[in-house]
Amino acid sequence: MSPIQTAGQVFEAVQKAKAGATAYCTNFFPVESKLQNWIDHDEMEMELHDGAAFFFRKDRNFLHFYFCAADAMKLQQYIAISSKIKMERIVTDLVGNEAAVTGLLPVLAPAGFQPYAQLQRMARIGQPEAASGDAQIGFAEKADNRAVLGLLENSFDRYAEQIPMLYEIESAVDGRQILVARRDNMLAGLLFFETQGLASTVRFWTVAEQFRSLKIGSALMQCYLKTQKAVRRFTLWVNANNENAIQKYRHYGYAPDGLIDLVLANKMIRS
Amino acid sequence: MKTIVEILKEIRPEFDFTASHDFINDGMLDSFDMVTLVAALDKNYGISIPGTDIVPENFQSLQTIEELLRKSGAKP
Repeated sequence: MSPIQTAGQVFEAVQKAKAGATAYCTNFFPVESKLQNWIDHDEMEMELHDGAAFFFRKDRNFLHFYFCAADAMKLQQYIAISSKIKMERIVTDLVGNEAAVTGLLPVLAPAGFQPYAQLQRMARIGQPEAASGDAQIGFAEKADNRAVLGLLENSFDRYAEQIPMLYEIESAVDGRQILVARRDNMLAGLLFFETQGLASTVRFWTVAEQFRSLKIGSALMQCYLKTQKAVRRFTLWVNANNENAIQKYRHYGYAPDGLIDLVLANKMIRS
Repeated sequence: MKTIVEILKEIRPEFDFTASHDFINDGMLDSFDMVTLVAALDKNYGISIPGTDIVPENFQSLQTIEELLRKSGAKP
């Protein structure tokens, strides 16, 4: 197990795992800036094998497991001997279409990974329609950081939904990526998004329980769409069992695009 | 045989790929799209793009994709 100092080490390890691969498999799609942030916060470790590279990212009281392997056989072979996977609380994500994801499940199951949750991606194409504003919606400020974290931790599943750490929230607040609704001097709801060029992803959209049924969620979504005039493609991930959320997204023009994220948890988490 | 632009249009019809020089930074292709694109290019050109070449810099523009195809043995 080696700690990681630079993003270059990660990319080098990935390249080694890919070299000569005939049936390369991975669940690791790092964005360099995020990866560097994780490294800077000592969250990343890697395990190198002949034809495979494993990465572990610390998140609260568990680890995210990412793999790059020349083929499924090598993946299965090295997972079986990884002491980290046996001893630690670990989740991992299989992302792709249904066939690709279910094809990899038998490779991970012998190491104790079982389905924990399933997310589905939804997309909305086209420019947003003009919407009315809400004076009580605005971008989060530095003073909101901890309240934002608290609302996210109360609203989402930490194992399945990749809740950001406080430093990531601070950075998102600086980048004006979090819209908040305030009521009674409290944080009533938020919409956390990431925009890159012509594409934008809603990462989290929630309203605190005591403020539901007041159309706050709707005001947040309308404000978000209104601020994204240049965007052509909107995406998000939603828990496939959360029919209520899926209906809300459909209302705003989102539809499933065929991509799923099967979240697997090992025995240490499920027990 | 389809052109690269036609294949890209099938994957992401909402974008004009002829108007961008950086598909990645412009948010027109993400990691998952790259995997779909590789499968489509392999099938269309009868090649097998190696795993080592599935990196964002090879999918930044029409020029870099053309270069990748040439390197992978696609006939013009």
